[in-house]
Amino acid sequence: MLRELLDVLISGITIGSVYAMMAIGMALIYGVTKVFNFAYGSFYTMGGYLAFVFFGFNLGYLPVLALVVPALFLAGMGTEKFIVRPLRKHDNWEMAAVMITLGLALFLDNLYQVIFGSYVKSLPSLFTGNLNIGTVVFSVQDVAIFIVAISIMFLFMIFLGRTRTGMAVEAVAQDTVGAEIVGIPKDMVFGFVFGVSAVLVGMGGILLAPKYYVSPFGGWNILVKAWVITALGGMGSIRGSLYAAFILGIVEAFVGWQFGYTWTLFAWFAVLLITLIIRPQGLLGTWG
Amino acid sequence: MGLTMKMKKELLLLLAIYTVLCLMPLAVHGNLYLMNILITCLIWAVVAASWDLIMGFAGIFTFGQVAFFVIGAFGSAILTRTIGISPWFGILFGGMLAGVMGLLVGLPCLRLKGAYVALVTFAVHMILEPFLKSSVGRTIGTGGSPGIMSIPPLSLGQYEFSSMNLIPPYYTAVVLSMISLLIIYKIINSTWGLAFIALRDSEVFANSLGVDDFKYKLLVFGISAFLAGAVGAFYAHYVGMLSSRILGLDLFLILMVMLVVGGMGRFPGAVIGSFITISVSELLRPLENYRLVIFGVIVIFLVLFLPQGVTGLLFPVKGKSPLTRLGEYFRSRWRTQH
Repeated sequence: MLRELLDVLISGITIGSVYAMMAIGMALIYGVTKVFNFAYGSFYTMGGYLAFVFFGFNLGYLPVLALVVPALFLAGMGTEKFIVRPLRKHDNWEMAAVMITLGLALFLDNLYQVIFGSYVKSLPSLFTGNLNIGTVVFSVQDVAIFIVAISIMFLFMIFLGRTRTGMAVEAVAQDTVGAEIVGIPKDMVFGFVFGVSAVLVGMGGILLAPKYYVSPFGGWNILVKAWVITALGGMGSIRGSLYAAFILGIVEAFVGWQFGYTWTLFAWFAVLLITLIIRPQGLLGTWG
Repeated sequence: MGLTMKMKKELLLLLAIYTVLCLMPLAVHGNLYLMNILITCLIWAVVAASWDLIMGFAGIFTFGQVAFFVIGAFGSAILTRTIGISPWFGILFGGMLAGVMGLLVGLPCLRLKGAYVALVTFAVHMILEPFLKSSVGRTIGTGGSPGIMSIPPLSLGQYEFSSMNLIPPYYTAVVLSMISLLIIYKIINSTWGLAFIALRDSEVFANSLGVDDFKYKLLVFGISAFLAGAVGAFYAHYVGMLSSRILGLDLFLILMVMLVVGGMGRFPGAVIGSFITISVSELLRPLENYRLVIFGVIVIFLVLFLPQGVTGLLFPVKGKSPLTRLGEYFRSRWRTQH
């Protein structure tokens, strides 16, 4: 019993780490650019499919990542530059941004289906085998997923706090007009943020592919999950998303173990609703 | 209150659309395929218009409209099958069930803002499918995964509507949608409509003048859900079968396309959007999977280059162009200085 509980907890933390990485990307976009990106799930799938294509050339994991990461970054930046930025001059641009990213998701997901077909694609596993520590058995793949996700997040946090570009991003998030006045190129920061978030969620797509496979419309589930996580953490709060991702990852593992994974979203929404009744702005969120 | 120019235009356009619709069967009554498409257009027009009422006019960002449509449809189908009430009452009860659900969903939503409201309403949509398939759903009579296969059709006296003669369901759809659209027209042109505009432009100021946003927003939640549910019930009795597959993303996205095509917050844009979108969709049917790819591109281009939709093209909003507003701004400054 205790062993089983420990296994469930470990799997919850593993999945939570990937969720955290993806939710941080969403919190970043929302916090900095105030855009609700509905095509976020499509970038998750894009990561999986791009990796699938490059693996087709018999490349190893590292060369594939070296190709996929810049491609995702450019895709995200292009999205901001060509379809979100022109909307900003309108009055009701937040709503328009939602509509246009929905249109983008519709376009991308159906494009994936046309190109790759409706059947799921799988990526080669990163590692196989198990790791025994005492009586606890870890799957090496889970450990690898956890380590990769945590290191990406760690690198990202250092980048945000320690580099000039990172500080520019934070400045724009806190006060867009003020940041513009002191000479921070707002548009470049917005494009950059979209690019980084596409990389974060696309990496999630690659990390989770050995477990959940890649399918044309698989991104919607991820969009909703990332949305619930950021809402629970407080829209736009990166630290809040981090906590929320681990909480909900563990909730998912326990609910999946006791009742089956179809009830995951029910449980998540229940947790979210209870939290929102007590704190309408989420765990660490502020209105504004 | 007299009719303003804008209201007259809207009413005339609606009248013109419905005159054409009433005469349509003269031309195509023999063609069941076309008649079916027209009925489909009318059904989605009401759902899109009710969505536009809450999102485009009241400015509440909700994604639950398809869910309310499905709640109305299943509610009516289950009631008519188990209790045996007339489908006409089923339409009313389906609408009322959806309306009550709308109020229940609206209550927590009104404490929240923007993207949170969208999430909570979308959550209703997302969990409806597993609920309908679950054992709880099956006990109520949702039919589980296969859905409900035989839903009693509407009838007048002894005559039962059938798929062989689509004239009676067509005119029922015309009347139902006309009533729904007139309700929506009435709401957006009443004091409510004014309250919404005031709340949208400056919530704090409107509140300070005594505009109670909670009451208006909650009622609009209920009414738009009622309309979607009622037309959902009509859909159930017209098509004759229901499954949770209708909650797939295709329909949700197509409705979104209708709003974008017609122009959000531009009455009766949703109706025009519905007819254009369904027609284009039917014309593009031979392209199969490419159809939705093209729809995605259409949405992106429309939002970028025609943000007011087709309705904005027909009736451009006067005095709203940035240049005019700039002119007004400088003129008012000039006046205060002299």
